[in-house]
Amino acid sequence: MVARTIAAVVLACASSAALAVPHCEGTAAEPDVSRFLARSWGVDERNTRYQPQSTLSSANAAGLELAWVYGLASDTPRSLPLVSEDTVFVGDGPRGLVALDRANGCERWMFPHDGSISSAIVPAQTAERPMLVFNDRTRGIFAVDARSGTPIWRTGTDDQPLAWYSGTSLPIGDTLYAPISSMEVALAMNPFYGCCTTRGGVAAFDLATGARRWFLPTITEAPKRTGSHWFFVDEYGPSGAAVWGAPSFDATRQWLYFGTGQNYSHPTTATSDAIFAVDAATGAVQWQRQFTANDAYTAACNNIELNHPNCPKPTGPDVDFGAPTLLVTSPSGRQLLIAGQKSAEVHAMDPATGDVVWSKRLGRGGIIGGVHWGMAANESLGLLFVPISDKEIDGFPAPGTPAPGLYALDIETGEQRWVYTRPSRCDETECVFGLSAAVSAANDVVVMGSIDGMLEVLHAPSGKLLWAHDAWRDYDAVNGVATRGGAFDAHGAFLADDMLVVVAGYGYVGRQRGGNALLVFRVPAADE
Amino acid sequence: MVLASRGRRLLATAIDAVLVPSLSLLLVMATGVVEDAEDYADFWWITHVLLLAVTSYILLNGYSLWRTQQTLGKRILGIAMVDAAGGPVAWWRLILLRAPFFALMFLIVVPPVALLPLVDHLCIFGKKRRCLHDRVAGTCVVRIGAR
Repeated sequence: MVARTIAAVVLACASSAALAVPHCEGTAAEPDVSRFLARSWGVDERNTRYQPQSTLSSANAAGLELAWVYGLASDTPRSLPLVSEDTVFVGDGPRGLVALDRANGCERWMFPHDGSISSAIVPAQTAERPMLVFNDRTRGIFAVDARSGTPIWRTGTDDQPLAWYSGTSLPIGDTLYAPISSMEVALAMNPFYGCCTTRGGVAAFDLATGARRWFLPTITEAPKRTGSHWFFVDEYGPSGAAVWGAPSFDATRQWLYFGTGQNYSHPTTATSDAIFAVDAATGAVQWQRQFTANDAYTAACNNIELNHPNCPKPTGPDVDFGAPTLLVTSPSGRQLLIAGQKSAEVHAMDPATGDVVWSKRLGRGGIIGGVHWGMAANESLGLLFVPISDKEIDGFPAPGTPAPGLYALDIETGEQRWVYTRPSRCDETECVFGLSAAVSAANDVVVMGSIDGMLEVLHAPSGKLLWAHDAWRDYDAVNGVATRGGAFDAHGAFLADDMLVVVAGYGYVGRQRGGNALLVFRVPAADE
Repeated sequence: MVLASRGRRLLATAIDAVLVPSLSLLLVMATGVVEDAEDYADFWWITHVLLLAVTSYILLNGYSLWRTQQTLGKRILGIAMVDAAGGPVAWWRLILLRAPFFALMFLIVVPPVALLPLVDHLCIFGKKRRCLHDRVAGTCVVRIGAR
């Protein structure tokens, strides 16, 4: 393992030796949006995170070079970029949505947005125009014209006052499917708050207008008063079961699949830490399977010794299905629905019934995983790539031995083919090695970014390290903004043609190193 | 007219800083202004909390401010507020001009606003021992027996 760390650092140094970033002198042109290199957060609507339109492979990964860097306006950027024929679209913190020239990072247009874009940028097409859809975590879902950035609509759910739009929406046909979570998980830290009354769900919207078609709550029972604390503050339940990740879509059955999080208060429900299959047209539940029962937790539990009144007792382990589900086909032709849990467990189910085909535990799990943001699959190799964080959060117990790393599992059986892991780069909290960010796959490679700021490309069949980049540094950005890298977390890397686009920096949950670097690497051409 | 010592003033402030927020928190809980999810759909809850802080100040100190120009803390420490000429201060000046400064202490967690209570109280180290709220309300603080 020490050898692997040394190899990662040596490769990282080598890849950055000739760092030379051109300064932007401006560009102004309408983006070419005739081709987008993703359809959703999961690249395809099944959430495989496999990019068929990437030239990155084991043959050229060692030659990846930094092409340009853009300095974002946030120290905790939370937007997954989208690449079109000639443009990179990305949420730029409180500035808004920017369209950057794919060749040099120059700005084509900007949609000013006083908030923070927190999702992937997703392309959609109506009869009138090509659109880009994205979420502001607290303010709703937005659609803009992809050619100009002109706003088209803004929408959200009025089912609850504190909806959070954390997960990326999925456009299918003329409908947009949005996962809905709730701010209550954090608001519960206020001891004067009467926890908790909100619930998660999935909402369907008309793609052309943003009008809501249906909303499926994950808890159908209305919350009731269950007690009080400090004489005056009432307590309520059931609540929670938020939906944090993008749904996956089954084109054959016309079903959506998604996972839920824990309950926020007692009584707990059978719909928390569960997987749902619902009819995409109506939202009718086809089946539902719970994997962890009686998991009640809020952020008020983060320092468990405080005995916070809004930390539900008994307190659960907080093992959501935060990462989106994957609908994959094994080499034998079997279709499987795969879900990764913050408990570090991975479950493969029959998508028709929800019956469990195999389950595998890969680490000890924890508040930020286990599996946190997302897995990837290479169906032709029959491999599922599972990033395990296993990072401990101060104040909340994480029993067991951490086993962070990237695990390759046989899609058919769940058997482990290989694991890539290495020691942390130092003992500080921000240095801890772990994989919270979603991973991405293409050809015979898999791309992972770690909490300790290393971006690594592995050989998918063997797990061998091919290339690495150390993002703990300052960068010379094309837009002149002071730019530094940090932890790799959240949505992970976006692969597109000869590009690898990734955001470095994330200081949100877990006391990781913040940063504001949008890094664009380029695969050398075959004749270089 | 003998100005109150800085020590007595700070101690009196410390007593008020315990009593008033304690009542405020009780009122916040009793009225439930930050208890429901709907309360956080906008930012009015901040205004509600500040109003309850001012209400607490008035409930605890209103009578003695009206009668003797003293808060509870000042009463315990034997000091009182007077106007620049040494006479009694109109109660409305105390309520409308001085009390809001107390409510600002609730915003000490908001970085830019947190400086205001700090600046307010640091002004006591000036030659005339007047805090910023004294200057705004046109008051100063004196020892009672030595008036």
